[in-house]
Amino acid sequence: MTDFLNPHLSVTATPDLDDDTKDIHYVPAPCQVACPIGTDAPSYIGYIWEGEYEKALEAINATNPMSAICGRVCDAPCEPACRRADSDSAIAIRNLKRFVLEELGPGFHLPPVKVTRQKTVAVVGGGPAGVTAAHDLAEAGYEVHIYEASDRLGGMCVWGIPRFRLPEGVIQQDIDRVLNHCPGIKVQLNTALGEQISLDELKQKHDAVLLSIGAFVGKTMGIPGEAAPYVEDGVGFLRRINAGERPAMPKTVLVVGGGDVAMDACRVAKRLPGVEQVKVVYRRDAEGMPARKEELQGAIEEGIEIVYNTQPVEVVDGALRCVRTEMGEADEDGRRRPVSVAGSEHDLECGLVIAAVGQKAECQELEEKGLMDWDRVRADFNGMVTADPMVFAAGDGGFGGSTIVEAMGHGHRAAYYMKAYLEGNQNPLAYRTPYRTRRVPVCNDPMWEINPRVHQNFHGLGKKPAEFAEIESTYSREEAVAEAARCFRCDAETGSADYTVTSRESIFAMSRITPQQKAEQIQILDTRLEHRENPFGEDHQATLDDLVFLPANLSRLVIDPYREGCKTRSDIGAIHSMELDIPFIVTGLDHAPDEVHSAYAKSIRQAGAAYLGTHPIGDTRWIQVFDGEENGEADAVAFLADDAIAHGIHRILAKRPRGLIANTGNVEKAIEFGLEEELDFLILDGTNGLPGLSAELAGPPDISILHKAVTKLRQLNREEEIDLVYFGGLRTGTDGAKAMALGARAVIIGASAALALGADISQGEPVFSSDLSSQDREERSANLLQAFNAESSMMARCTGKTNVQNMEPEDLRAITLTASQAAGVPMAGSLNQH
Amino acid sequence: MVTIDLSQFSNITEANEKIREYGRDNQSVEIINPDARHNIGVGLVDPITVKIKGSAGYFCGGLTDGAHFEIENNVGWAAGDNIYTGTVVVGGNAGAIAGVGLRGGEVVIRGNMGSRAGQIMKEGTLCCGGNAAFMAGYMMYGGRIIILGDAAEKVGQDMSAGEIFVGGQIENLGNDAEIVDLAPGDLDSIKEFLHRYDLKFEGTFTKVVNAGKKLRYKSQEPRHRPQPFFIHSKSSSYWNAKVQEDIWIKGEVGRYRIRGYGASKPVPHLNDIAFAKSISHVKASSSALDGVNLRTQIGGRYGAKPLDLSMPVMIAPMSFGALSRSVKIALARASRLSGISENTGEGGMLDEQREEADQLIFQMLSGRLGWNVKDMQRADAIEIYISQGAKPGLGGQLMAKKVTPELAAIRGIPVGIDLRSPSRHPDVLGADDLVIKMDELREAVAHKVPLGIKMGAGRVKDDIKIAYKDGFDFVELDGLQGSTGAASTEVLENVGIPTISAIQEAVDGLREINAADDMHLVLMGGIKDGVDAVKMLALGAHCVSVGTAAIIAGGCIACMQCHVGSCPVGIATQDKEHEARYDIDRQANNMHRFFESMRWQMAAITKALGYDDVHKVSREDLVALTPEAADITGLPYAPQHQDHVHPDDDLSTLSRKAG
Repeated sequence: MTDFLNPHLSVTATPDLDDDTKDIHYVPAPCQVACPIGTDAPSYIGYIWEGEYEKALEAINATNPMSAICGRVCDAPCEPACRRADSDSAIAIRNLKRFVLEELGPGFHLPPVKVTRQKTVAVVGGGPAGVTAAHDLAEAGYEVHIYEASDRLGGMCVWGIPRFRLPEGVIQQDIDRVLNHCPGIKVQLNTALGEQISLDELKQKHDAVLLSIGAFVGKTMGIPGEAAPYVEDGVGFLRRINAGERPAMPKTVLVVGGGDVAMDACRVAKRLPGVEQVKVVYRRDAEGMPARKEELQGAIEEGIEIVYNTQPVEVVDGALRCVRTEMGEADEDGRRRPVSVAGSEHDLECGLVIAAVGQKAECQELEEKGLMDWDRVRADFNGMVTADPMVFAAGDGGFGGSTIVEAMGHGHRAAYYMKAYLEGNQNPLAYRTPYRTRRVPVCNDPMWEINPRVHQNFHGLGKKPAEFAEIESTYSREEAVAEAARCFRCDAETGSADYTVTSRESIFAMSRITPQQKAEQIQILDTRLEHRENPFGEDHQATLDDLVFLPANLSRLVIDPYREGCKTRSDIGAIHSMELDIPFIVTGLDHAPDEVHSAYAKSIRQAGAAYLGTHPIGDTRWIQVFDGEENGEADAVAFLADDAIAHGIHRILAKRPRGLIANTGNVEKAIEFGLEEELDFLILDGTNGLPGLSAELAGPPDISILHKAVTKLRQLNREEEIDLVYFGGLRTGTDGAKAMALGARAVIIGASAALALGADISQGEPVFSSDLSSQDREERSANLLQAFNAESSMMARCTGKTNVQNMEPEDLRAITLTASQAAGVPMAGSLNQH
Repeated sequence: MVTIDLSQFSNITEANEKIREYGRDNQSVEIINPDARHNIGVGLVDPITVKIKGSAGYFCGGLTDGAHFEIENNVGWAAGDNIYTGTVVVGGNAGAIAGVGLRGGEVVIRGNMGSRAGQIMKEGTLCCGGNAAFMAGYMMYGGRIIILGDAAEKVGQDMSAGEIFVGGQIENLGNDAEIVDLAPGDLDSIKEFLHRYDLKFEGTFTKVVNAGKKLRYKSQEPRHRPQPFFIHSKSSSYWNAKVQEDIWIKGEVGRYRIRGYGASKPVPHLNDIAFAKSISHVKASSSALDGVNLRTQIGGRYGAKPLDLSMPVMIAPMSFGALSRSVKIALARASRLSGISENTGEGGMLDEQREEADQLIFQMLSGRLGWNVKDMQRADAIEIYISQGAKPGLGGQLMAKKVTPELAAIRGIPVGIDLRSPSRHPDVLGADDLVIKMDELREAVAHKVPLGIKMGAGRVKDDIKIAYKDGFDFVELDGLQGSTGAASTEVLENVGIPTISAIQEAVDGLREINAADDMHLVLMGGIKDGVDAVKMLALGAHCVSVGTAAIIAGGCIACMQCHVGSCPVGIATQDKEHEARYDIDRQANNMHRFFESMRWQMAAITKALGYDDVHKVSREDLVALTPEAADITGLPYAPQHQDHVHPDDDLSTLSRKAG
């Protein structure tokens, strides 16, 4: 795991970037931070799991104009940074990128951007740094002219990386994508600086110049005899192979060096005709080797021998004379220095030595202008600018050998400072890599914790090595999904309001520093002191979420909710009564399809619940919502309070419980009327919308209706004379339990019952689709009632009760003032009585 | 054989000390004038014989290992409580819960025995020569009960495993118990046992075992990673995606859902409270740790050796079971490196944990899983678990995937059950029982180490008064936000009060009874850093306890899927392959650095507030930022207040670093 401090902990002011680090629900993941261009890997991985390949490609391509190239040959610093690297194995971030590009890469490009600026820019060198800078500047509306010395764009990707790792078409795909996205980029090939065009001309024609000239000249080993004809430099060797040559090799080839060029050179040599043995001679040990581990592994699998701790000292006839080394003290860069072992000289026989010991930039023209500093263009990394204020530098040619993605990072960085320069901003805020998120939901793959890393199919040399067939292929869709599921999604907000993604990262940060790192301690302390926004601001509407139950502990005997029983019998009706085996009544299915009716009819009957509606839904207990005529089949009748009060109740059919449906507006009148008429129950509709569900689905109910009703009855001292039944916004059995504790004898569920059968909410009404079998529907409706009933009894037992009817307001506390007010329940912990 | 005349001892502690002395000399003891006193012989771990001439009270021979007790007449309840090896033989009748929590050994009651005999026993044999009252073998996990006479109703109620043999009539069976035929060898083994104790029986037995219908949840909940917490009824639509998912899943499984971690919804918390004075002058150049006392002693109220903490921080109780062995080792090591205490949680003490931790609290839960006298005697404090903030009112929960053979062995339970620990202690039905239980525990450790109580916050104002009057040395009080390895989401979100409400009620309750400041309050539930810790201390706590934050410091990614048992970082798992992913050395060090950062923060804030001791910070130093926090705590409401420390200028370049 990379120990990193996330940008939330940084006090650096954010420059004007397309950046999401101010979002409190987002922290850039370690992979994203490790990427020099801040690739939003978690988002594209999340999209891959969802099968949203276009969105994935947008996320990739937004900061990476060489997406297809990177999908194959990026050195992928994201992967060692991946938090899962410490567990089983890092997510295959690079190959997932390749997967997306292969799914829909060639045709895809971001929408074209127009040229909107007068000023133009010259970019010298069309490698990753130059193309990236051109891309950013073009996106900003500038016309950009790329002057490329060779006959195609791509730089080292074209000339340095062998085709078996990076087929030519892949490079062209990226170039085409950039040019289609940025029509303002004009390309002039075969135009070398100092030959076809001069710096002065560029300065004259354009308003700023970027030198991204690359480093194409191999460094020498600096040992006697290396001028011999059988010594060649690594980049030179790769360039001629990539230009199409397939020279015959001697039997034994030695490659000197331990970087990626050495890896490519040895694998190229291994494929050429005539060769029998290829060895890599490296002066440090395996641990000190800078080459990407996968490349090293590939080389070894292809039969290349790595000779560690061996330093060439002289090229002699037919051999390379070397000494053995031991690892000494660490250098300034932290790597241990190789120390020669006295008397260990020995000769390694060979027919060719390829010296892959680094490369440098060369440019006569710039040399003459005094812009060069030995092996590179002299430039200040802070502003990417040379001694000439209108000339900037980026890439290997400016800052020494780097990877493709680092060079692209330079390109972004240079473009940022060039834009500032072009806009006349002489003192721009310091650049930092921007981090974006597409806020992709975390995947819900049941195997995410368990799936091992899916390995790419590795083909190695293939049947005909000299044809340079690709060494590996990407994932199938199934493999890609399995791999994408593994992502921890370090970027995503957690499910916990306490341990949010930002507080998790703060805790990580605290656990990665020592007390001696005072600056970091202070910085984290400052972050930790930040206050959160009041989660219950002024417009907060009280919901049942704002109430909590008080558990039994010492002052009440604890009941065992796992084992001990709880009575749920909840008959309603003060004078005439209707049996209810559980305190739940279902409503809102009047207009549902027959299949839904029959499922719920069966479940309601089995559970001993009831249905409330204008029509019965089958052979169940039914509380008729009165719509003009009493139905003889009904077990109880409920009248809308306003109608009943206005028109009176005519008792046609005797001996059945009757009640009213009241809302917050008429509840007090309804109580008076109900008591006067000796009604049996009062349905308290917190949504003010019965008998339909649209009001319930529209938003939170008004839970104060229960408190109002109980208060009124208490004032009249007639609490026992009418039963209260609550409806509105009940989403769990716990919600039901809370309503019961507040005074309801039973509760009514509407939207929840519909949602359990997979109803979609469309224009405020549940819409049932037919993709469930009738058995599924029956099981689901029965399960919902069972779960809700079990949950409400669990709450009762937690409070020390063995009968749901024994829950009372005293078992509740409020955690918000609005809920305390609405429900008439004290705040938890407060001495104040509300 | 020496004689101890109990009438000569005004308290049982001195007598037990004497018995232990004889035990060390391998000298058997005869006790005269026992006067039915409680806790006779408790804590004896030497293989001597103790003959009691007369009757004994509660917990006779309880919490012992290897000793032989012979009681001439009757015993009170919980005879032979939790013995490991050894015997307790009662000549007369026994009260309720004889042989409760047996881990082995043999308990023989020649007369009748009371209700719930052998409750939660795991191994060994409990034998009754007469009749057994109701619920014999209640929730037993293993071992054997032999009843020569009749058994009253609900035999084997909610047993998980083990065998009950009844020679007489069975009134009826309990939940999830069934009658099976005797196995070959059963009868011979019983006869051999009866012969050894000279018990006569002619006839045969009815065998009762677990019917296996309730050991596992019937349906498996589909695994779901949590939706972001901000999807709730405040900020999203009332019927948001999270609600819809929840209802859909309940439609599938027909029961409450389960997950790890604590309450996920926002509740009033310490970040709604700020420091009254500016602390912005904390400077990187000042050495925060100099000249600020953080040392904290917990639990010396009655002369036990207190926990001596280098700062007012403990590691919260978390079990080996919920967490992997490797994590428990790392936590123990981190506690030692930072001079604080570690806690076993439910499920027993690991040898490695004991070796790594300098100060270790041993927690006793209702199921007595992994509980035993030997580990008590090597603990630095004992804690009775009543409940926890994540699931107050319910016992611990461990899903089957985590109940591996290794784990089952240490807990003494069957492999592969969905373990739902009892919600209630077999021998604590009220505050008065609790007092006697506390005496037993203190006897077992010769009153040498502090005794605490762990409670999830509910009716704190009442509960805290009982805890004080019952005489606990310290209380670990756990708010609604407290986390767990597995609990019902409904309970996680809806049962218990927020941590700041809990401390406020505790302080108010103790003030109402004019309690001295001698029962230490340890607050937990959402303590994430030194800032939270200082605020909690200012509100009246003596110490805080940190669980989830420590686990995160040690590599937890907060996916909240602890209950699944496939933790991808090797923390909340018993899967060896997954556990192998956990790097103990590195993560112990990470946790250690996290605690040191907490220390740094506490010291820096204390200093900035102008004190030289963190315990001097008080309510006067706080203001409330929200109306809720102000109402709960009674602190002044100051919504505009902002806490900041200003990093030195040279820090402005400190950047995030991809290393």
